This record gives sequence, C-alpha cells and structure tokens, in this order.
Amino acid sequence: MPLLACRRVVLGLAVGAAAAALSVLPASAADPAQLIQSTANEVIDIIKATPPGPARQAAIQRVLQTNFDLPYMGQQALGANWNKASEAERTRFLKAAESAEARAYSERFGQYGGQTLTIGKVTPRANGLFIVDSQLSQTSGQPIKLQWEVRDAGRGLRITDVKVEGVSMVMTRRSDFNSYIQSHGGSVEPLIAELEARAAR
Amino acid sequence: MIASVSKSMTAGVRRSVVAAAVAATLVGGCASGDTGAAEVWDPIETPNRFVFAINRTIDMIAVRPLAVMYRDGVPEPAQKSVRNLLDNLGEPVTAINEVFQGDPSRAATTMARFLVNSTLGVAGLFDVATMLGMKRTKTDAGQTIGMWAAKGVEPENGGFYLVLPLTGPSNARDATGLMIDYAIDPFQILPIALNVDWIYYSAPRYALTVVDYRSRTMFALDDLEKNSVDYYAALRSAYTQNRAELIRAKREGTDTKSELERRDNIALVR
Repeated sequence: MPLLACRRVVLGLAVGAAAAALSVLPASAADPAQLIQSTANEVIDIIKATPPGPARQAAIQRVLQTNFDLPYMGQQALGANWNKASEAERTRFLKAAESAEARAYSERFGQYGGQTLTIGKVTPRANGLFIVDSQLSQTSGQPIKLQWEVRDAGRGLRITDVKVEGVSMVMTRRSDFNSYIQSHGGSVEPLIAELEARAAR
Repeated sequence: MIASVSKSMTAGVRRSVVAAAVAATLVGGCASGDTGAAEVWDPIETPNRFVFAINRTIDMIAVRPLAVMYRDGVPEPAQKSVRNLLDNLGEPVTAINEVFQGDPSRAATTMARFLVNSTLGVAGLFDVATMLGMKRTKTDAGQTIGMWAAKGVEPENGGFYLVLPLTGPSNARDATGLMIDYAIDPFQILPIALNVDWIYYSAPRYALTVVDYRSRTMFALDDLEKNSVDYYAALRSAYTQNRAELIRAKREGTDTKSELERRDNIALVR
C-alpha cells in the first residue's frame, strides 16, 4: 500500500512535470516576431473572409483575446484611475473597452487592400519586454511604421501595445480616458457608461 | 501654511519645469521625474479647446468636405503632382534645417533633389530625383529645436501645448519652429521681395497645402475622432507622441536608449 501510494505520487509528479514542461515550452519557444506575424495573418484572413459587421467584429475580438494582453492594456490605459475603480467597475471597463477596440479594428479596414506586414528587428528589454519593429506596406503611398510591444505575464507571449508612427495606442487611450474622467467628476463610472453606450450602439 | 500654499501654487509650474530643469540636473533624471506616463503639459487648455472647437467647425463645414472631394474627384496622378509640387517648394527649408541639424550631406542631397526636380521634374511636378535614387527627407525647425534641446529634455516636452487657428495641434517648440521656417523660406521671401500679389502665389499655395494635407490625414483623424471619448485629449497625445518620434529619430545614436528606458518605466507604472 505505501509502495503503491509512493508510486502514485511519483507518477503524479512525473505527469505534472510533463504537463508543466509542455505548458512552459511553447511559451519560451514562441518568439515575438512570430506572434506578430501570425496575428497579422489572422487579421488579414478575417478581413478577406468577412465583410464589416458583427461577424467580423466577433472574429477580431477573438484575435484580441488570444493574442493581446487585454487586462494589462486596460489597466495601463486607465493609469492612476485603475486604483480608484472598484472590482466590478474594472470588470465592466475591461469588457466595454475590449468590444470598443474590436469594433474599431473591424471598421478600420473596409476591405483588404493588399497591405503586407514586414517584420523587422526584435529588441529584448531587461524587464521581459520585447519591442518588435515592423512596416506596413500599402499598395499606394508611404509604408507605415508599426512597433509592437510584446511581453509574457504568465500567459505566454502577448501583445501589450501597438505604436503607429510613434503613436502608442495605449498611451493615446490613457490621455483620452484620463481627460474624460477628469472632466466628468473624476470618477471612472461616466467613462464606463459612455463606453458601454457606444458598444450598444 | 505659507509653504504649503506656495507649494500648491507652484505645483503646476513645477511639473513643467521637471523635465526641463530637474531631470536635466539629476543623473538618470528621466527615471525619477518623467516616467512617460505624465500628461502633455497644457496650461492654457481652456483657450486651446476654444480654438480647437472653432477649427473643428471650419473643418466640418469647409475643409473636410473639400478634402473629400479632392481625394475622390481629382485623378490620382494629379494629386501626386500637387504633392510633388508642394514638397519641392518645401525642400529649401528642409535643406536649411538639415544644415542646422548637423547633417550637411543630407542637406546636399535635398538641394540636389530640389535642383533636379525643379528642372527635369518640370517645376517640381514630377519627382525625378527619387527615381534617380535620391531619397526624400522632410524636416522642420521644430525638429531642429527639439534635437538641440538640453540633454534632459525629452522630445515629448515641447513646452506648453498650443492649438493654432486653422493649423491645429502645436506646442511652444513647434510653433516657434513654424515661424522660423516661414522666415527662412525662400518661397515666402521671394514673392514679397518681388512684390507678387499674395492672391497669385501665397493664397493658392496655402490652399493647396491645406487640402493636400487634410486629404492625407483624413483616415487617421477620422479614426481617432470616432474611437475617442475626448477627441481633443486624444489628438493632443497623438500629436505629441508623433512629434517626439520624429525628433527621437534625429537624436538616434545619442539617446535612443532613453526612449526604451521610458517604455520600461511605463511598463512599471500602474
């Protein structure tokens, strides 16, 4: 009996270790450039396959959920106001911001216009952040400079920010949201209400 | 008591001076003073918002519709030629600024571009120089000032934010730059020297610049307006970041590191 128990523990440990190895390996093996490339491919496929509308928005939202660290981005976008918000408000805010972002992305590209994303150099940072340079080439006009911030916060590599020609999405939202909060009595509630109203529209 | 009052009174001023003075005197000042999470300094927000509202109204009823008509109605090659013409008129200013940015070889290329395009390119209508391998660069005095600003001054800090009538987002640094560029522009000086009536030259150039610029920024501005809850604040942030990026590219090799460090800081700030 003790032997059996011991064997079971060993087996359990082995299975656990194998599972841990499996769950760790893809995260450490995946590289930031590949994450950006696959995200870009997914988005291009969606834009090619579905016309603008709820179906596309839902598909884009899934890409955001799987490839972006949305809770982290939401927290960054709220800045100091995050600490003031209650747990319920945070949840509502993240949900509303997520669908707002999904809608923005699904409407941003009407039809696929032959854009291609070329991944440049990847700069690892000391605090676990990766900066991925890339260029979005269009059929006409200058290529657009895109920079991605990728980090691993325990859920594998996730995108935490996109910079378009130096303009960070998260930082712009942060100023935007903060200014709205300041001009509406300093609480997060009106902002959440506004975002929810927009999502319902 | 008095100390606390004066402290609160100077709080606003202090914030502005932080990047300029404190950070400059502290070693690693950007880590302690400017985390990159600070808002754009906007002490005259109320008048700025007022001008912004007027600009937006003018844009809504006149400039944007005109730009839409131009974008959709004018053939692509004609638009391209207009852009080339305006770009060509701007080359001397770029060249002068590149000299002051300590890059004479790039300035020489810009001047060569200007000469080639003005002659072979039929007064700048065609960008022959690019076909010959001379890449176009564009810069302005705002960037020159930003480049030579004191070591501790982050490119995000361009002095107070300013919304100019008709022109739109700017700040102390870029508005000063705009005046310098205007003053050194041969194509502003010559018409005055030659007594050319503004209606034949300055007015058309300005009108074309506005329509061309507005049609090019349409997509980005529409997107920003639609997806922001406070368009003024969103544009203020986007403008400041974009200008900082351009200036940072000029400073490359000297303190690009600070931008990456900034981002580390941003990641740490909650």
